Amino acid sequence: MDNFEKQIAPFNKLLDERKEKINSGSTKPLAKTFPVNQLAERLHPEKQFLQIYKIIEHGNESKSFYFKPNKNLGTEHLAYFRAGQYLSLRMHINNSYVTRPYAICSSPSDAMNDIYVLTIKLVKNGFATPYIWNNWEVGTNVEASAPAGNLYYQPLRDSKYIIAIAGGSGITPFYSMAKSILEGTEDTNLTIIYGSRTHDNILLGDELEDITKKTNKVKLVNVLSDENITGYEHGFISAEIIKKYQPADDYSIFICGPDVMYKFANKEIATLNLPAGKIRHELSGNFGTPYNELDYPEYARDKTFNLTVQVRDDKRIIKAKSNESLLIALERAGIEAPSMCRSGECGFCRSQLISGKAFTPDSIDGRRIADKEFGYIHTCAAYPLSDLTINVPIHDLAN
Amino acid sequence: MKTDYDVIVVGAGNGGLIAAASSAKMGHSTLLIERHNLPGGAATSFTRGRFEFEPSLHELAKYGSADNPGNIRKIFDWLGIDIDFKEVPDAYRVINTGKDGFDVSMPTGVPEFIKAMAQAVPGSGESIGKFFKIAVETAQAFSEMTTNPEQIDMKKIAKKYPSFMKYGTVPYQKVLDELQIPKKAQEILMAYWCYIGIPGDEFEFGYMAEMVVSYVALSAYIPVNRSHEISTALINSLQKNGGKVWFNTEINKLIVEDGAVVGVRTADKDIYAKQVIMNVIPDIVYSKMLDSKDIPVQEIKKSNARKIGTSGLLVYLGLNKSAEELGIKDYSTFIDDNWDSHYQFDHMKNIKDNGFFIMNCLNVANPGCSPVGTSILYATQLFFGDSWDNISPSEYPKLKDKIAEELITRYENATGINIRDNIEEIEIATPETFARYLRGPEGEIYGYFGQPWDQMIARTMSFVKEDEPIKNLHFCGGHGYLLDGYSSAYQSGLSAAKLANKKLSKETV
Repeated sequence: MDNFEKQIAPFNKLLDERKEKINSGSTKPLAKTFPVNQLAERLHPEKQFLQIYKIIEHGNESKSFYFKPNKNLGTEHLAYFRAGQYLSLRMHINNSYVTRPYAICSSPSDAMNDIYVLTIKLVKNGFATPYIWNNWEVGTNVEASAPAGNLYYQPLRDSKYIIAIAGGSGITPFYSMAKSILEGTEDTNLTIIYGSRTHDNILLGDELEDITKKTNKVKLVNVLSDENITGYEHGFISAEIIKKYQPADDYSIFICGPDVMYKFANKEIATLNLPAGKIRHELSGNFGTPYNELDYPEYARDKTFNLTVQVRDDKRIIKAKSNESLLIALERAGIEAPSMCRSGECGFCRSQLISGKAFTPDSIDGRRIADKEFGYIHTCAAYPLSDLTINVPIHDLAN
Repeated sequence: MKTDYDVIVVGAGNGGLIAAASSAKMGHSTLLIERHNLPGGAATSFTRGRFEFEPSLHELAKYGSADNPGNIRKIFDWLGIDIDFKEVPDAYRVINTGKDGFDVSMPTGVPEFIKAMAQAVPGSGESIGKFFKIAVETAQAFSEMTTNPEQIDMKKIAKKYPSFMKYGTVPYQKVLDELQIPKKAQEILMAYWCYIGIPGDEFEFGYMAEMVVSYVALSAYIPVNRSHEISTALINSLQKNGGKVWFNTEINKLIVEDGAVVGVRTADKDIYAKQVIMNVIPDIVYSKMLDSKDIPVQEIKKSNARKIGTSGLLVYLGLNKSAEELGIKDYSTFIDDNWDSHYQFDHMKNIKDNGFFIMNCLNVANPGCSPVGTSILYATQLFFGDSWDNISPSEYPKLKDKIAEELITRYENATGINIRDNIEEIEIATPETFARYLRGPEGEIYGYFGQPWDQMIARTMSFVKEDEPIKNLHFCGGHGYLLDGYSSAYQSGLSAAKLANKKLSKETV
């Protein structure tokens, strides 16, 4: 045997072994799925088909919708979640395809029993809630995302004591947290400081009271802005009120509520000098207008621009108002565009800016560094400053 | 035959990105289709609060310096990828927290590495010197073999690199024994096994030695703005050369006509192409995207003979103190209480006592990666995905928090550095997370496990023969001929593009 043959022999042996192993492989069909992949589908399904089985009214302005999985459409079970997370609902309203993020009001244990509850407040001059009021009834099918969002108690990150600051329907994620503390799925202490205009505007007040009676780990402070009643704090949620009810020296603040409350509370909280990371928010799509941003370029105010939208090989030119996000422009035009958190954060609406200029307010700019560098935008948090062209991925989940 | 594109690439992971960008660069009309809304697969990033985290990359191999470029830098240059990389300052630190434990930091540069080893393990100098002599030759041979797997000349390689011929196919551990390297030095030299997930006593010397040399001699690199920057730059390159990308698009089926793949089917349309490159593990393609009548029996046998590779668990930490304030000096720290790689490997099969992990501090290699006064740490463990089989949805969140806490505790105990009081952001990825985003079977992140007959040498030498299991169909990715890892997947993408190109060129002649 010459030298090369000797040298190559172990390599040839390896190849022979490969051949032999493959030839003696089984011909049985390959597995289509595995337990870990099934766990992923249960925890993070691409979409969930829900059906309303009960509706409870809270006064004239709010309703709780009880959902079960719609097995006929393929949803066997509802996905588990962490108290504080939201669902993004997908709706077809008139000619628009829209999404709306709603925090889940029920608890993770309820989800294990295939129940979600969404408590929604009617916004009379809004777009989605009047539709919901007019159309949703027992038996209505609703399509939702998997649970998403980062406003939940993380024991390695958050203090053992949480102060929840809520306004209006922003109470819902905290109701879920309170309920899961009572049920023993979350091990933390929650002080809810809940701002409402009047006593009658308090949402889920009795239900929350009830929880505070059953566990001393949940406390409730109602703050009324338009009424002065004994036993209730009066005014807006201020640093003073937070300090008055702070449960311990070390605490985290979670905030969820309308834009106005959010901005006020943020200013107050800033005076408390908490370390970064101890203050966490869920904006739930309530950003408001870009015009109030300090660095908003005045020249674009109150303008309407031409927005050229490329989706795969199709191209359309639509109108985009400077005070509305590009996502809303897409939805107005009936384009099915991806979106989820509607607060700049999740990146589900990531699209490519081909030409033109868009404004992304700093406070909701959740883009990755490279996306800024290479001209990508989150349409839910981008406002047009000129005529522009964008490349939007299809929203195949809505197919 | 109607065709919409010359080349369709399915999957925008590292392999698919390079395959698509390269096809476009070679002048072919190219469509890249990706299920997710982002490019990159594992090569992405995510933001939490003030931090943008690196999800998966530890060390990009074969990038090299401008003066001494590695294969990957050459490919990036060719594709016009113009982004900044940082050289990882040191090789690694190994802490053995068990009996006869040790704590050693190894530098880059072969002479420096040998010197540090001689200090850590007196009397190891000579054997380590021998090791590197063989390893460097092996690395050269490997590079020649794997750069152009479509034209391997073993005679030439044998002539130039006799050491490679002698040791290449022998298990790494066995070679270290043969060289009489002291046990402690062997343990230190074993650290990188986890990047491929093959224990040292099964890992062919050729590949493992090549990896050691590549990191120690050429250094490792990381992109300044996380892997998402590389992936986005590759999309940019694809588009500049006339290629297209469709995100959020799932391929349900490969269209086969007369025994050849002629296109792909999405939810709403069929798209035809002359060549199709799949950056999807063959198991998924064969179980979900093809009718059984169209799949060669040999391919089913091959998939059944192979083993699914490992998955992982990562804990990402955004800390509200800087690395300096915390006293962190090392980029990569490998920690376990037992440094027998087979022991470590065996413990990847259960959740309870999987001891081996790596802690990275991104700021050490990339100081500006997080705001002033903060730092990014991430811990990595390997787990076989099936070790998570019996976890219920309601147990899942608590389990991942528990494992994260254990890792933090073990890091604190091993280094004396306090982490838990400084956590501003935390995220935890598990085999479930990888199953969700990457969709591999069992949440694999390393493709197929490298059984001896299914490691780099056997795969590389079989590469051309095993290409096109069905006419016009090629594969690339971390399950490819170079096994897992960014540089491996990139290289496999280029090779797939070359094979497709060859077929397309033949057609026009």
